[in-house]
Amino acid sequence: MSDVVISARGVQKSYGSNHVLQGLDCDIGRGITGLLGPNGAGKSTFMGLVLGLRPRQGGTLNVLGVDPDQSGPELRARLGYAPEHHDLPADVQAADLVRHIAQLHGLPRRAATERASDALWQVGLGEERFRPIGTMSTGQRQRVKMAQALAHDPDLLLLDEPTDGLDPVQRDDMLALIRRVGSEFGIDILLSSHLLEEVERVCDSVVILANGVVGHSGTLQDLGTATAGMRVELDSDSQPLAAALTARGAEAAVDGHILTVTGVDSAADLIRDLVADLDLGLRRLEPRRTTLEDVFIEASQ
Amino acid sequence: MTEARIHDRGYLAYDGPRHGPGHAMVVLGYHTVQRVLGLKRSNWQKVMPAITLLIAFVPAIVFIGLAALLPDSSDLDLGDPTGYYWLIVWMVFLFTSFVTPEAICTDRRSGLLGLYLASPLSRDTYLAAKLAAIVTVLGIMTIGPTLLMLIAFTLEGSGPDGVIDWLTELGRVLASGLAMAAFWGALSLAVSSFTTRRALASVAIFVSLLVSAAVGDGLAEGAEVGDSFALLNMITLPLETVYRIYGETNTDGPPIGEVGTLLVLFTHIGLIVAFGAFARWRYQRIEVTG
Repeated sequence: MSDVVISARGVQKSYGSNHVLQGLDCDIGRGITGLLGPNGAGKSTFMGLVLGLRPRQGGTLNVLGVDPDQSGPELRARLGYAPEHHDLPADVQAADLVRHIAQLHGLPRRAATERASDALWQVGLGEERFRPIGTMSTGQRQRVKMAQALAHDPDLLLLDEPTDGLDPVQRDDMLALIRRVGSEFGIDILLSSHLLEEVERVCDSVVILANGVVGHSGTLQDLGTATAGMRVELDSDSQPLAAALTARGAEAAVDGHILTVTGVDSAADLIRDLVADLDLGLRRLEPRRTTLEDVFIEASQ
Repeated sequence: MTEARIHDRGYLAYDGPRHGPGHAMVVLGYHTVQRVLGLKRSNWQKVMPAITLLIAFVPAIVFIGLAALLPDSSDLDLGDPTGYYWLIVWMVFLFTSFVTPEAICTDRRSGLLGLYLASPLSRDTYLAAKLAAIVTVLGIMTIGPTLLMLIAFTLEGSGPDGVIDWLTELGRVLASGLAMAAFWGALSLAVSSFTTRRALASVAIFVSLLVSAAVGDGLAEGAEVGDSFALLNMITLPLETVYRIYGETNTDGPPIGEVGTLLVLFTHIGLIVAFGAFARWRYQRIEVTG
């Protein structure tokens, strides 16, 4: 299988005068990829295009080697999708629903029955699989959604806000399950979310959408090694140093005794010299690591 | 002796056969028939379909019994299918109005539509499978009793004479039942596509049938603007089609009997296509992600 699972070039999608995606370019590789963006950034629209539920108005889109607009049914047979909403038919048993969806994805009834049972065990609902979904908690319903997306053994799993509505313990369990599906099960995952922390915990890569385009994409590993300025901690008030740095063209953000310095080359040398000139006590001077939050805010702006 | 157990066999990849969209349509259709009939659901959900189906079959069973018990039963014309449909038409309306909306309303209300459209089904194949399921279930009422009578009367020796006549009668029974089931099934699909609420769809179907009857007959008989306006009556139009299939016209009812056969059939088929096109138009606009 290719290392690129989804490839988008200049993808456009509008609803009337609302241009949701305006030339989206990205390559989504194997593993778990977080699709981040503020509300209205186009995450769900992009998922709809990946599933082939809507035709795009421009650009090219390739999912698992095929164009969703041309080969929607064949492609969807290889995809698993867990929607954001929690609504599922209340009077249907979890095992029946998961088996039914697996059959729709092409599995014969017997195989679908076996795999539905397996999938529900894998998501931790083995004992609960014959319960009507209407009697289940939000966390259990999220797991049912995960099971129905997994049962037919998809090549790519699309998860739309899978932790929405979960309490902290359920959320941790769900994130652990997603990590397990991506690593142990070997299924590639595109995880749509607006929660940075959960993307940082489970994803290998991230694509940030903002205003209908990709604001940033890359691996979280690369993000962890990237630096953005210097971080300075003094043993006294940092305002004099901030003023001196600003006078020399640097940008200095003050937070008590801590300064974050950006916008200038050789910042470490400049800070060292100014600290000496101002006779300040220096506790710590280190490169400032770029966080996902920094990238998200920058991309969103 | 040492005992060993496998507690977790891990995730197993699936490398067996996979069927295409046609299989998905059959699976969805079968599942929908089960849902509509209340199978695998609570007893309460089984009541309405069971009662209406039972009542639709009661006259047929009585007629078959009379034919078997009475020596001169052929004088009673018990096997007249067009007359039979008038007997059960209100059961068919109740079934169409209060049972068939389950076929699509619940999918949208429960979010299941999103899962369906994320499968090899498309919006068009989804609707086609749903329509086929509704027509199948309605067909149990519109074909079942008359087919049962045809078989029973044949076994009793009072059925059509000769193979050709028998096959002709069978064709008429199937065509009549299918014509009615397709018409009211398509109407149910179109009206149900308006709302996610099953009860609302039920009332809307029932009211639309009554209003169409009032408007059609009112224009044709009351205002006397033309017999063709009687075709607007969605209760009598499918029944008139049945008369035409049997080479007859309804002489007892409204002036729809005066309308030409070609126009009756054209209106019947045209409305089925229009109902289907309307449901398709509605479903093309439904968003299921997000």
